[in-house]
Amino acid sequence: MIGWRRRGIALVALAACLPSGRAHAAPPPLAAPINLTGTSATAVGGRTNFLSNLNRSNYMLGDLFGVRTFLARYGISLAVQETSEVLGNVSGGIHKGADYDGLTQMILQLNTDRAFGWHGGLFNASALQIHGRNLSADNLGTIQTASGIEADRATRLWELWYDQKFLDEDAADIKIGQQSVDQEFITSANAALFVNTMFGWPAVPSYDMPGGGPAYPLSAPGIRLRWRFTEALTVLTGVFSGNPAPNRDGDPQALNASGTSFPLDTGTLVMTEIQDAYPGLGAMEYPGAGAPLGHVYKLGFWYDSDGVDDQRFGNDGLPLADPASNGITRHHRGNFGVYGVFDQMLWRQSSDPNRTMSVFGRALFAPQADRNFLRASLNLGVTYREPIKGRADDTVGLAVGYARVSSSVSNADRDARDFGQVPGDGLQWPIRRNETFIETTYQYQMRPWWQIQPDFQYVFNPGGGIANPNDQSRKVKDEAVIGVRTNVLF
Amino acid sequence: MSCSDRAGARTAPEKSKVLWFFLSRKNILLFSLLVCGTTHAADRAGFLETIHKHRMVTSTVTPNGDVNPYAIVVAPASAGMIEKDDVLVDNFNNISNLQGTGTTIIGYRPSTKATYVFARLPQHLAQCPGGVGLTTSMAMLKTGWVIVGSTPSTDGTTATKGDGCLIVIDPQGHPVTAWSGAHIIDPWGNMAVSDAGGQATLFVSMAGEGIPSPDVTDPQTHLPVIVRKASVLRIDLRIPDGKPPEIASETVVGDGFSQRADRDNFLLGPTGEALAPDGTLYVTDGLDNLVVAIPDALTRTTSAGTGRVVTKDGLLAWPLALDWTPEGHLLACNGKDGRVVEIDPKSGQQIYAQWIDNDQAQSPPGNGDLFGIAMMPDRKGFYYVEDDMNTLMEARP
Repeated sequence: MIGWRRRGIALVALAACLPSGRAHAAPPPLAAPINLTGTSATAVGGRTNFLSNLNRSNYMLGDLFGVRTFLARYGISLAVQETSEVLGNVSGGIHKGADYDGLTQMILQLNTDRAFGWHGGLFNASALQIHGRNLSADNLGTIQTASGIEADRATRLWELWYDQKFLDEDAADIKIGQQSVDQEFITSANAALFVNTMFGWPAVPSYDMPGGGPAYPLSAPGIRLRWRFTEALTVLTGVFSGNPAPNRDGDPQALNASGTSFPLDTGTLVMTEIQDAYPGLGAMEYPGAGAPLGHVYKLGFWYDSDGVDDQRFGNDGLPLADPASNGITRHHRGNFGVYGVFDQMLWRQSSDPNRTMSVFGRALFAPQADRNFLRASLNLGVTYREPIKGRADDTVGLAVGYARVSSSVSNADRDARDFGQVPGDGLQWPIRRNETFIETTYQYQMRPWWQIQPDFQYVFNPGGGIANPNDQSRKVKDEAVIGVRTNVLF
Repeated sequence: MSCSDRAGARTAPEKSKVLWFFLSRKNILLFSLLVCGTTHAADRAGFLETIHKHRMVTSTVTPNGDVNPYAIVVAPASAGMIEKDDVLVDNFNNISNLQGTGTTIIGYRPSTKATYVFARLPQHLAQCPGGVGLTTSMAMLKTGWVIVGSTPSTDGTTATKGDGCLIVIDPQGHPVTAWSGAHIIDPWGNMAVSDAGGQATLFVSMAGEGIPSPDVTDPQTHLPVIVRKASVLRIDLRIPDGKPPEIASETVVGDGFSQRADRDNFLLGPTGEALAPDGTLYVTDGLDNLVVAIPDALTRTTSAGTGRVVTKDGLLAWPLALDWTPEGHLLACNGKDGRVVEIDPKSGQQIYAQWIDNDQAQSPPGNGDLFGIAMMPDRKGFYYVEDDMNTLMEARP
């Protein structure tokens, strides 16, 4: 029955009847038999086809010379993204200057639905290639480092996990394997716009968790459960290795340089978060309800059983700065913190719902001052989408970050001064207390695969108030940092 | 969408056939069920309050990597590869997420929970001006023929948009005929269908004529220019035994609707059609944020222009596809948030809305995710797509 159609030549044939509409006289419709001979199922243009699709393709290289199409047959997707930036301090800091740094991420995912019909499974493997220099370490000396991608130069495995959904409505899922908890815990969708590190993984866990916690560029073996138990409420909880590095004897990124240490004997990190989201899935709304303004509120805590050093005292009870001290740091076991996060849309333009204004905030607190470098950290900010009419994918934002050094650290600084462990007479030796910065940035969506993001940050009291190593009689001056970041999805 | 499973499936303005159809036993039964359902539902305001479960049914990504699911059709009959009640979903984008380049239709079989590729069309068909990019326009006839719209581009924007076509696919997934012409210019919206077997009527909105590149903006709004040339076309078909459907006549029943290019959504224009038993066609006009009615759509011989406004604004946020609830209400998927809105077409009252996609990765939640919608065969729930996640979803009590 079909054969004759396939053999039919590709000539246009008139349909039997003319259109009947009187108001819209027009030539009759064309009904052309389709001859598939010689047609191709794929786009023409070959390996350079991506060049003609640069305006709207999600990826700069299109289907990556056929690799994506090949992988798609097996339910596999591949993403490769380069983030590059130049940031420089034009005033203040240890010294002025600019650094380039960059990050290449590669993420491979296998969807088990598509691969072999197993519902709700996802394998994920990702790797990082970190390059360039670190402005915050070189020039700034800040607690709240200027860029979330700054890290030791390395090529490392990042995450390697399997996630399985279950329960009715896929209301729960469990993730097993090496994970970077900053991808799911303490996150703020609006904060993610900003360049400063502390709008990603916040300052308190960065400094108070052993090894900085299993967060970029590190990760740790663990198991995580997420369960949406009501329309609006979700619980997120996980148990992970207590330290992303195999031990506490140095730079954790150097100790786990390739990301393949898989430490399992370094204590246990437990994280739990309750999330309240509006709108919930299935939530009803009635006429007159006004524009829907979404929100997400989160409350959480973490506990890490790994060992942690005291910030001030030795195990003989004397300040470490005391010449009489035996120099052996007092050791503690266990540490914890609590936090809250909110993202709240404030306004949505009725004539153009893409145009929205939102606020966010994160407050974190680690009460055990004796073992923590930071006692608290805070983020607050506002974001505005589509600041220029018609640029629906652009966002501009203004935010502030605050980090409060623990009293033990402040007292240790006093000890150092009182016991003459600092240069000179010590009278000018600063006592670290807190550091504040503001950031404003504009994320310009150049193409679907390309973002350009100019950024400005100003840091008050860098490092919480630290002496400038180039002139130890003075503190590091407040810093103005400018730069530009670009993201390219290949 | 399909009216044929409700009460008023009429094929052509031939009085004797209309009378025969209404008196046929099957349709008397269906009409009775509809009346019973309406009575039973009288103690509640509408349909959406009965929906509590939302579940992913299957991924809609095909082996060639096509993404961005748009149209949903529930098979009215078994034919070839398709079993009755299978769910067909097409993709608008290719693996690079270029809009207007998707060429595939998947099938999902609820009885076995298996997903299969029903059709993979060539990227270029000589008979289809501009290529192939499958849209929300799709229907399956009781005779097994699948008809799908194409609004193609080569660079993912309307700058390279072709006029497209309607493609007839046999039940084995092979394209056999392409329809194009002066009235078939970028078939876009979900089809309303009246199907009596040997004859059928399709309603499909056309939303591409005269749309320039998204870079051509209105100096007042700084948005792509609005071109009020979108139309709604009635296509009367005859289906000879064992042969593909043929166009018997075309009638523009509505025109002058707003349409414009859009970088994120390719284009915006009338996207939903639903045919009532009394022959009224309801159409969503997303840009103007309203639903309109075109009276006597099955029989009229002239255009009703932009029709009569049924409801506007309120819970609507750029409404897209439409379908009917058992109560005779309309369900409209919002394009600019993740809500589906229930509307009483008689009174024009918006009854309420439900969040069926609350993904906060978009702002507002679910912005740009929803598109097609289709009631399940038991009419207790409905299917919808989440085009950000590339999934077919179901919503049930």
